[in-house]
Amino acid sequence: MIVFDNVTLTYKGAASPVLKGISLTIPDGQAVLVCGASGAGKTTLTRLINGLATHFDQATVQGSVAVDGSDVLIAPLCQTGRVVGNVFQNPRSQFFCVDVESEVAFGCENMGMPADEVRRRVERTARQMALGDIMGKSIFGLSGGQKQRVACASVDAMGSRVFVLDEPSSNFDPPTIGMLRQVIERWRQMGRSVVVAEHRLAWLRDVCDRVVVVDGGRIAWDGPMDDFVALGDGFRIAHGLRPLSPDALDGGERPCPPPTAGSDALELRNFRYSYGHACPALDVPYLSLPARRVVAVIGENGAGKSTFSACLCGLMRRFGGEVLLGGERLRSRQLLKRCYLVMQDVNHQLFCESVEEEVRLGMDPSREADVSRILGELGLRGLEERHPLSLSGGQRQRVAIASALLAGKDILVFDEPTSGQDLRNMLATARLIRSLEDRASVFVVTHDRDFVQACCSHVMRMERGAVRETYAIDAAGRRRLDAFFGTCWK
Amino acid sequence: MAERSESRALSLDPRTKMAVMLTLSVFLLGGASPEPVVQHGMALIVLVLMLSQRNWRRVVAYALAYLLACVTLFALVPVLDGAPYFFALMFGGIAARLVPSAFAAAYLTSTTRVSEFCAAMRRVHVTDKIVIPLSVMFRMFPTIADERRSISAAMRMRGVALGGGRPSRIVEYRLVPLLVCTARIGEELSAAALTRGLGGEAKRTNVCQIGFGAFDAAVLLMCATPYVLTAAELLGALK
Repeated sequence: MIVFDNVTLTYKGAASPVLKGISLTIPDGQAVLVCGASGAGKTTLTRLINGLATHFDQATVQGSVAVDGSDVLIAPLCQTGRVVGNVFQNPRSQFFCVDVESEVAFGCENMGMPADEVRRRVERTARQMALGDIMGKSIFGLSGGQKQRVACASVDAMGSRVFVLDEPSSNFDPPTIGMLRQVIERWRQMGRSVVVAEHRLAWLRDVCDRVVVVDGGRIAWDGPMDDFVALGDGFRIAHGLRPLSPDALDGGERPCPPPTAGSDALELRNFRYSYGHACPALDVPYLSLPARRVVAVIGENGAGKSTFSACLCGLMRRFGGEVLLGGERLRSRQLLKRCYLVMQDVNHQLFCESVEEEVRLGMDPSREADVSRILGELGLRGLEERHPLSLSGGQRQRVAIASALLAGKDILVFDEPTSGQDLRNMLATARLIRSLEDRASVFVVTHDRDFVQACCSHVMRMERGAVRETYAIDAAGRRRLDAFFGTCWK
Repeated sequence: MAERSESRALSLDPRTKMAVMLTLSVFLLGGASPEPVVQHGMALIVLVLMLSQRNWRRVVAYALAYLLACVTLFALVPVLDGAPYFFALMFGGIAARLVPSAFAAAYLTSTTRVSEFCAAMRRVHVTDKIVIPLSVMFRMFPTIADERRSISAAMRMRGVALGGGRPSRIVEYRLVPLLVCTARIGEELSAAALTRGLGGEAKRTNVCQIGFGAFDAAVLLMCATPYVLTAAELLGALK
C-alpha cells in the first residue's frame, strides 16, 4: 500500500514546486496508470515512491509518503529498495552487470540473501518470465526489448511489494509492450501494487484498473479505468494526454500519388547486408517509394530497421546497394553526403560550442544565405549563441535537423524521434517533420502508432530483413496499421 | 567479460587465472629468469589454457604467432647482421614476451564473468570499496564502445571525421559528446543500482560458485615451477 499525504515537492534551485498538495492512496493489488503532459510531475511522483526524489535528486518535500508503513522520504534507499522494485525508461542504463544471470541475481545479492535462496529465486523468475534462451548471454548483445525483459525480471526476483515503472514502453515494439502487459498483469495478480507512469495509454487500457491524471503538479482526475475511457478523447487532449484511439490525431488525408519510377520516385536497389550470420540482416532487392514524402519504417525489434537506416545513410562499409533519386544514382559514398540520420540520442551528434557554429559545421559555404532562414523556420532564432547541450531535448533535435538541411542533405532518417514525448511535443515533432516533406525524403523509424498517424504519408513494414509491404496511409492503410500495432494489446 | 563459463571440469578459479597473469608478468614481461626454458614453459601454460577453452581458431592463431616469434629469435637473428639484425632481435624479443601475455589476458577476460571476478576478490578479502568501482569499470567499457560507435557514425555523416578541416578539433568533436553521454548513463545507472540496494549495510552475497579443482592444481603447479627453479638457482649461487 502506498499513501501520499498532502505532498508538495520542490527541486533544488527551482522557483515553484513540481508537485502541489498530492494526496493519494494506492491499495495492494491495484495497478495505477499515472499520466499527464511532460513536466506535469508524473516521473517525480514515481521518484517519491522509490525514494530517489529525496535521496538522489535532493528535492525538498513537505507532507509524507508511506510505502507499506515505512516513510520512504526518510528511510535509506537500500531499505526502500527491498519494498519497491523499479523499471526505468532507458534499457541501456538500468543494468549493472554484464551478463543476464548476474543481473537477475544482483538485487537479491545486495539484500544479502543466502546464496541458495538467490539461486532459487533467479531460477523461478527465469522460468516464469521465459528467460531461458538469454540467461547466459551478455546484456550488451541483447536487443532493447530483451534488455527491458531482463530489467523486469531482475526486480521480479527481488520479490518487491510495490512496482514502479517510469515510461517503460517508450522505445519498444508491440511484442515487448505485450511482454510488459503480461508482467504487470502478473504482479497485480500476485497482490502487488503497480504504478505505471506513461505517455502511451492504449496498451494499458486493460491492465490498469485506475487512472490518475496529473496536470500542473496537481491531481486533475482520479478514477477507475472504465470511467477514464468513457471521458472521451476531448478531455484527454485538453490535459495533454495521448488519445486512446490514434484516429483523433489524424494528420488529414493527403494526396499521395502512387509510387512510380521516374523523377518523383526514390528507388532502392540491391539493399542487402549481412553481419556474417546465415540469414541476411537486410534483404531488399528492389523497392520504389515516392520521393519527398514521410515514410514510416515499422516492424518488430530485429526486423532490420536499424540496418536499413545505416545502409541508407552510407554508414556500412561493405554495403553495395544504391539509391536512385530523381534519376540520380547514389552509391554508399554519395549517400554518406546526401543522407542524415537523426539519432534517438541526439547528444551523439552535437559537437560544437554554439548553435551557430553547430549548424555551419560541414555546411557548403554557398548556403550562407540560408542559415538565418532555416534557423527561423525551425524556431531556433535567438538561440544562435547558446550551447547546444544547454537546450531542451526538442530544441536539440531541431538543431540536428537544421545542420542536416544546411549540409545539403535531402534524405533524412529519424530514429524514434518521439520516444517519451507527450502529446504536445509529439504533435510539434510531427508538424516539424511534415514541414520537411517537400524539401527532403524522410524516413521515420518508429514504434509510435500515434506518431505514424499524425506525421507520415506512407508506411514501409519490415520483417526479418525484408520489406513485407508498403502502403499509403488512407482508410485501408490505417486498418493495416491497426492490425500491426494491435497485436500488443489483445 | 565472459558470457558463460566453459564446462566446470576445465574451468579455472579466477584466483588461479590471476596467479597465471602474475607469473607471466614476473617471468615473461619482467624477465626474472633469462632461461629460454622458463620462457617456453610460460608459453606452454598459456597454450594449455587456450586448449582448455576449446576455441580452436584462437589456439591456431596463438601457436602461429608464438612460432613466428621463436623462428625470428632463434633462426633469423643468428644469421643476420646490421640493421636487419636489430630489427629481428627487437621484433622477436618483444613478440615472444607479449604474445603469450596478450593471449592470456584474452583468456582471462573471455572466460571470467564480472561477478565471478568479484567473488574471487572478496574471497581474498579485497574491500567492496575497490570491488564495486572495478565492476562498474567492466560495465562501462562496452558502454563507452557503443557510444563511440554512434558518435563516429554521426561524425562521418557530417563529414567531420577528420575534424572538418580543423584537425585540432578531432579530439574535441569526439570527446564532448562521449563525455556528455557517458556521464548521463552513469547517473541513471547509479540511480538504478541504488534503488536495487547497492551500497546498503547488508553484506552482499554472491551466487557464483567458485573454487579450486584438479585443473586449478595442475595449472598452479606449473606456475610454481619457475619460482622454485629460480629460488633453487639463487640458493645454489649463494653457496
